[in-house]
Amino acid sequence: MTTNPDGQASNYTKTLLAGLWRENPVFRLLLGMCPTLAVTAAVKPALTMGCCVIFVLVCSNIMVSLMRNLLKPHLRILMFTLTISTFVTIADLLLKAFQPAMSEALGPYVPLIIVNCVIICRAEACASKNPMLTSIIDAFGMGIGFTLTLCVLAGVREVIGTGKFFDIRVMPDAFVPWAALTMPVGAFLTLGFLLAAANIISKKHS
Amino acid sequence: MRSIKHFFEQSWLLIVASFFFGLLIAVTNAALSARIAWNATAKLNTLAGGLLPSATKFTPLDETIDIVARGGKPQALQLYRATDNGETVGWIFTAVGSGFADKIELVVAVNGDLQSLAGFVILASNETPGFGDRIKEDGFRNQFKGVPAGELVISNSGEPGTVVTISGATVSSTAVIETLSHYLTQVKEQMQQKGLVDHDDES
Repeated sequence: MTTNPDGQASNYTKTLLAGLWRENPVFRLLLGMCPTLAVTAAVKPALTMGCCVIFVLVCSNIMVSLMRNLLKPHLRILMFTLTISTFVTIADLLLKAFQPAMSEALGPYVPLIIVNCVIICRAEACASKNPMLTSIIDAFGMGIGFTLTLCVLAGVREVIGTGKFFDIRVMPDAFVPWAALTMPVGAFLTLGFLLAAANIISKKHS
Repeated sequence: MRSIKHFFEQSWLLIVASFFFGLLIAVTNAALSARIAWNATAKLNTLAGGLLPSATKFTPLDETIDIVARGGKPQALQLYRATDNGETVGWIFTAVGSGFADKIELVVAVNGDLQSLAGFVILASNETPGFGDRIKEDGFRNQFKGVPAGELVISNSGEPGTVVTISGATVSSTAVIETLSHYLTQVKEQMQQKGLVDHDDES
C-alpha cells in the first residue's frame, strides 16, 4: 500500500486546524473551563497559561504516543496522569525560575493544569492511538486553539474591565472601566457571550 | 509467585515510568532551584529596600524566632537584619494573615530599635480589584510609617500614632492591621527575650 504525501500533508493540516475552530477546546468541546474562567482577567497571565498548556500538551502527547503500544487499558488513565503531572511540575519550576511575576500571578492554577481536561482528552483521543508526529501536530493545534481563546476572552475582559490591553492604556480617558469584568462574574458573562457568538458563527457556516 | 509475576506484567511500565519521571523532575529541580531561591531573595531585597532606603544589606538571622501564626499554628519566623556599614537600621520579616478572598502576605519593616514601624508592602494577595486591593495603595500604607511597633490602634480621626481602615475595603484593611499587630507584638517580645534589642523600659 502506498501513501499519498499530499493526502498525508492535508491530514496534518486538518489536524492542526481542528483545534483552532472545528474542535476548539473551549468554544466547541467546552474543556478546560477552570483556567478559562480563572486566569483571563488580563491578557498576560492568559498568554502565560496558554504557553504552559502548549508545553504540557506537546510533551505529554509525545510520551503517551511513544508508550501507546505498551499501555494496559485499565492503567492508561493512571499513566496519562503521571505523565501530565510530571510535565506540569516542570512547567511550574520553569515559570518560577524565569517568569517569577507570572508564576505568582497564576498561583495555584499552574499546578491545576494537571486536571485540565484538554490535556487528558488529547492523550486519550489522539496520542494513545496515533504516531508521534500526528500527536505533536494535534497538541500544537489544540494548544494554540486553547491559547487564542483564552487571549480573546482576556482581551475583552481587560479592555472593558480596566481600559488597558497588555497593561497599556488603550481606551480614552473618558472611558470608565467596568471593574466587574475583571472579577469572576465578568469571566462567566464574557464566556457566555463569546460562546453564543461562536455558536451563531458555526450555525451560519453549517 | 504467579500473582507477583502477574503484578509485574501489568505494572512494569508504571514502575519504570515513575522512576523516569521522578528523575526528570529531580534533574529539573536541581538545575533551577538556585535560580528560584535567588528570585525569592531578590524580590524580598527589592521590597525591603523600598521600605528601609538607608539599608544597604539584608542578612537573615542565624536562628529563627518561634511565634504563633494567625491561624494558631506555631511558626518559625525568619528575620532579616537591615544594616548600613555594619550598623543595624531595621528589621524585616514576612507576615501572613487572612484577607477577604485569600491569604494576605506582607513584608514588614521595623526600625532598628524595634520601637516604630518603618512600613509594609504586600508580597501576595488576592483581594477584590478596586476594593480590597486598595490595601496596596500608598495612601493606606504610608500612614503606618512611624506608628509604634506593637498593638496597632485603629481610629476614625487619624490621630498621630493610629491607623485608619479603608471605607469599602474594611475587611481587607482590618486584616492587614490585625496581622501587623499580631506579628509585631510577638516579634518584639521574642527579640527582647533573645537580647537582640533593648527592653522598652531600658530604652
